[in-house]
Amino acid sequence: MRGDDGMHARRSGGPADRAESDRLLDAARAGTPPGADADPLTRLLSAAAGPAAPGEVAGEERALAAFRAARATDGTAPTAAAVAAPRPRRRLRIAAALSGLAATAVAGVAFAAVRLDRPPEPVVPPATTAGPTGAGPTGTGPGVTGPSRPAPGTPAGDASGAASPPAPTPASSGTPSAEGGPPAPAATSGRMAGHCRAYLAKPERQREKALTTPGFADLVAAAGGPEQVESYCRNLVGAPAEGPDDEPEPERPGPRTDD
Amino acid sequence: MTAELNEAVAGAQAGDEEAFRFLYRSLQPALLRYLTALVGADAEDVASEAWLQISRDLPSFTGGEFRAWVVTIARNRAMDHLRRQRRRPSVPVPLQALNDLAADVDTADRAGEAIATESALALIRTLPPAEAEAVMLRAVIGLDAETAGRVLGRRAGAVRTAAHRGLRRLAALLERSAASDDVRDAVAPRPRTDRQVPHAPEAEPAEG
Repeated sequence: MRGDDGMHARRSGGPADRAESDRLLDAARAGTPPGADADPLTRLLSAAAGPAAPGEVAGEERALAAFRAARATDGTAPTAAAVAAPRPRRRLRIAAALSGLAATAVAGVAFAAVRLDRPPEPVVPPATTAGPTGAGPTGTGPGVTGPSRPAPGTPAGDASGAASPPAPTPASSGTPSAEGGPPAPAATSGRMAGHCRAYLAKPERQREKALTTPGFADLVAAAGGPEQVESYCRNLVGAPAEGPDDEPEPERPGPRTDD
Repeated sequence: MTAELNEAVAGAQAGDEEAFRFLYRSLQPALLRYLTALVGADAEDVASEAWLQISRDLPSFTGGEFRAWVVTIARNRAMDHLRRQRRRPSVPVPLQALNDLAADVDTADRAGEAIATESALALIRTLPPAEAEAVMLRAVIGLDAETAGRVLGRRAGAVRTAAHRGLRRLAALLERSAASDDVRDAVAPRPRTDRQVPHAPEAEPAEG
């Protein structure tokens, strides 16, 4: 299409004016294939806008994971109703409000469950405030925060994060009043540890259902999926019934044969 | 293309994952090429950050040109990245790219196409940053001069001028490469170079 001008451009060291440059650039962005007699500059621009190489979309799954995590935390999980909804913005606001409420409710129940599970022993005041909070998550689960960490600061995340117990060590310090502790560098895994304890405190058959609620959405996102939550949590906070301080160390169960 | 894109945007805003995948596949290749011109080898990382923010902020996109919205996010991430790095990557003139371009640009198979694309991008990256960015936004991302100007916070005329200078510089590079390949061309020196003014993109007058 630009054969003549192409010859001209080659002789004169490029497009003569801005208008000609505009035409060349517009042809490239339109994907117009250069003819066989196109000048080198036209071919260069066409090549620069050429088809995608497979390596260029290598981050697709990571981007989709980010998309899922963002949808999960802002409460716009893909439902049939959501896809069909003609006015997404208003619906979004309502959904956010609802998920905030739901998160508070769920986290409250979870917190209550944690407290009920706790053996009725006197609470020992904490010797240090920041010590166990800082050391816990980094010691138990160094590899838990992947590149696709969910976004903090969403209504659901904040509500549930604030309502669940913040101490990340597995019930060993026995201080439910640790909410004064400063946010450690690993605040996310600390928050996740809180979610995890709430999750693990649930009866086995309620767990699956709990993961569908907004309150656990960012835990699911952090774990990489509902079926990963169990192992993720066990990595992060350890098995729930093995708090070294809370349980009396069982002696060897064999019968005493000594006199 | 634009209608398809807008449809996918609406779908993704409603939570449709496949619509988001379509957006990614439509935009990521050009975005990555553009980011490579800005931050070099860190483009993949910056693109990831950009897509993270795109997924997060998608509900707040209220219309206009989605391509421009996306590229603005990517550009901001790139600028943050450069501020963190406190340096621009140095881009040596890739002689190999010139040779590859000459050799492979006609090849029809995919491998040849990929090499030609790589070479073309490498040459564009040798331009002064403002010119490279203008050419990338116009030819590769596919924005018009007005929209590119909005992304850059400059007038459309300034974008046109930068892109035009970039194209002339590229044409001169190609010509020199052809001349060194082909003695026949060496006897016809270029009449003018249009490079008496060192590029100073920030001080450029708002032409047009």
